[in-house]
Amino acid sequence: MSQTITLDALKRLAGEWIAQGKRAIGPVRVKDDFIQYASLTDADALMLSGFVHPANSIKEFLFPRTEPIYTYRFKGQAVELGDCEPNAGEQAIIGARPCDAASVAILDHVFNWDYKDDFYNTRRAATTIIALGCTDFDDECFCTSVGLGPVAEKGADALLIPMDGGFEVRCLTPKGEAFFAGKTQTSDKSAPVPAGPEVKFDVAEIRARLADNYEDPAWREIVLRCLGCGACAYVCPTCHCFDIVDEGTAVGGARIKNWDSCQFGMFTMHASGHNPRATQGQRQRQRIQHKFRIYPEKFNEVLCTGCGNCTRNCPVGLGVLNTIGQLRAFVPPVEG
Amino acid sequence: MSDASTFEPKIVAYVCNWCTYLGADQAGTNRLEYPSNVRIVRLPCTGRIDFNLIIKALEMGADAVLVSGCHPGDCHYTAGNYHARRRWILFRSLLETMGIDLERIHFAWISAAEAKKFQQTITEITEKTRQMGPYEGYRRVCEAGV
Amino acid sequence: MIEQLRETCKRLLEEGKVNVVIGYGQDSPGGPVHPVFVTRTDQVGRLVWNDRCFNNLATYLTRRDIKALGKPAIVVKGCDERAVIVLEQESQFKREDIYVIGMACDGVGSPRLAKCAACSVHMPRFADETIGVSNTESTADGRFAALDAFLQKPLAERLEYWMNELARCVKCYACREVCPMCYCNLCIVDKNRPTVLDTSATLKGNFAWQITRAFHQAGRCVSCGECARVCPAGIDLSLLNLSLARAAEEHFAYHAGMDKDTPPVIGSYALEDKENFIL
Repeated sequence: MSQTITLDALKRLAGEWIAQGKRAIGPVRVKDDFIQYASLTDADALMLSGFVHPANSIKEFLFPRTEPIYTYRFKGQAVELGDCEPNAGEQAIIGARPCDAASVAILDHVFNWDYKDDFYNTRRAATTIIALGCTDFDDECFCTSVGLGPVAEKGADALLIPMDGGFEVRCLTPKGEAFFAGKTQTSDKSAPVPAGPEVKFDVAEIRARLADNYEDPAWREIVLRCLGCGACAYVCPTCHCFDIVDEGTAVGGARIKNWDSCQFGMFTMHASGHNPRATQGQRQRQRIQHKFRIYPEKFNEVLCTGCGNCTRNCPVGLGVLNTIGQLRAFVPPVEG
Repeated sequence: MSDASTFEPKIVAYVCNWCTYLGADQAGTNRLEYPSNVRIVRLPCTGRIDFNLIIKALEMGADAVLVSGCHPGDCHYTAGNYHARRRWILFRSLLETMGIDLERIHFAWISAAEAKKFQQTITEITEKTRQMGPYEGYRRVCEAGV
Repeated sequence: MIEQLRETCKRLLEEGKVNVVIGYGQDSPGGPVHPVFVTRTDQVGRLVWNDRCFNNLATYLTRRDIKALGKPAIVVKGCDERAVIVLEQESQFKREDIYVIGMACDGVGSPRLAKCAACSVHMPRFADETIGVSNTESTADGRFAALDAFLQKPLAERLEYWMNELARCVKCYACREVCPMCYCNLCIVDKNRPTVLDTSATLKGNFAWQITRAFHQAGRCVSCGECARVCPAGIDLSLLNLSLARAAEEHFAYHAGMDKDTPPVIGSYALEDKENFIL
């Protein structure tokens, strides 16, 4: 016995949400073959099949790529500061892949660690996440290697699993129940459980290697092709580093929080000019260390949900999966 | 629009110190009136005028931009205006592709002796921009949220 | 061609003529192709050559971590070779300090990328060694077809298009990093005290960045199309660069990367440069 909903009914539900002045977000075809999670103006644009993973992640709806945190205005010799309220109207993310929904549970930790980030928390409280189970995967997917899977429930308020005629609906939290209240039908069928990608590596093995061999000679070679852009960090559902800048004119401006990437050359540049991570190898090492050893040591979970976006979007085909693959396969050159 | 009769365009003029700025100064000395809509920004030479300054003027709310300097052959630094001219030719094609209104970006050669030309150019640009209205396009770019 | 390429590289490494070969590799047959750096003769088997060799490897010639490996041999397609010419023109290296292995290319991508249909450099022209022969006719016709179609749109529609497209830009700078011509030690967008360009990924900041980067490529961009290929937000950045490439050709008969002895278009001027728009 299960609860089900048809695609049409789901789109109608999204349409009602939009009509109430709330925000509905989901995968849409931006152009040609290019799918992204985006705000829906028309519920009909919601795409829930025909692709593996959108080109972006859902973190930008909780942690925007650029966000003013306060404003300032010069009045003579004095400065007037103004608060910025996070734009936190109610929103529903419909069709988040399980790897994206799981990332939210991970980001919840980091934004509530030693400092409770109001901007994140206000948005988080106003967000309902409806995950969409995966019936397909590609070579870049590796959710099963990091403890997740095609119908993982972590971070989701409800989970949709594709089946004949629509979706099985599993409400997992009161928010999920509220979203689907009265909109589902009972069925004596349930959705087939889809298979996920085969496990490609063992996180415990990686963590041990990272802990035992910080000066691993592999890092001098395996990421030579990394260009040091921010593509991987920015499409990643769990990367959360940010930069604070002041932008303005002679009369005033705003202090702004922007996404940042540990792969940029300037990321660890000191005011003195010294850069503790001066080579790309050191920067990539940091990325893998953070995701698979340092973050797990602090928060007991891997800072990666295996969505594969980093590899799909990397200009040179690196990304976490290929970097770890090369790390495991690396054979140090025989001297002489 | 109800604002049409009260709209005063903001014109930013990037001018070179040796020719156009002195021309503007001479216009003042000769009591040649020109619209106060123009904000004059003095730079040593048109060769130093980065195309970014044109974008910044639009970002700051300019409705039209003028870039003006010495006539070819008369540059105080010999060839600054030749380099600038080449850059302007290329930059205009980029602006065209971006959909930025070329009718609002003007280039001129105005010498130190051409006070009248300075007066005429500013008057014409101001009037033309008043007819065109405020530059909504770039304002929308600057005010768009994420 | 692959065997000849591997033999050549083995020989170059053995004879000590180069310390590293910058080429294309594949982790598994049929898998995606990516850049590789071969420093030992026992690694030459990693080198491949096929119609998925998209990357423009010239971008590695100016990167500090790669220069530290020593004298390079670089595998180039005709389009990539033009980038090498521009870098040489801009004194980024002495020609004798690199070894260019030119590959005859009938186009990449399946279906073929748009840039390949209007390619006039299927055969490399300045390589130290050329491998293969191209059977595809070279033509430069149609290079600007997409740009022409775009410029048919009215002004307001063009601006609207860029407002929609650049709204997705996240300022990841993949376009900058993949570009062989973007090699400034301190990019203008990273400069602060004072800040020149907004770093924020607002529409205003994205416009400022893309206009600046396009213009800094004026007369230098070789239209390899990498920026558009790698953009994670799916923005067709090549339109911006093509408009400047066409302006350089139309007004100054200048085609970047064709001849290293022509003075660069922005660094030079002519007394007869066209004036009809100047008041």
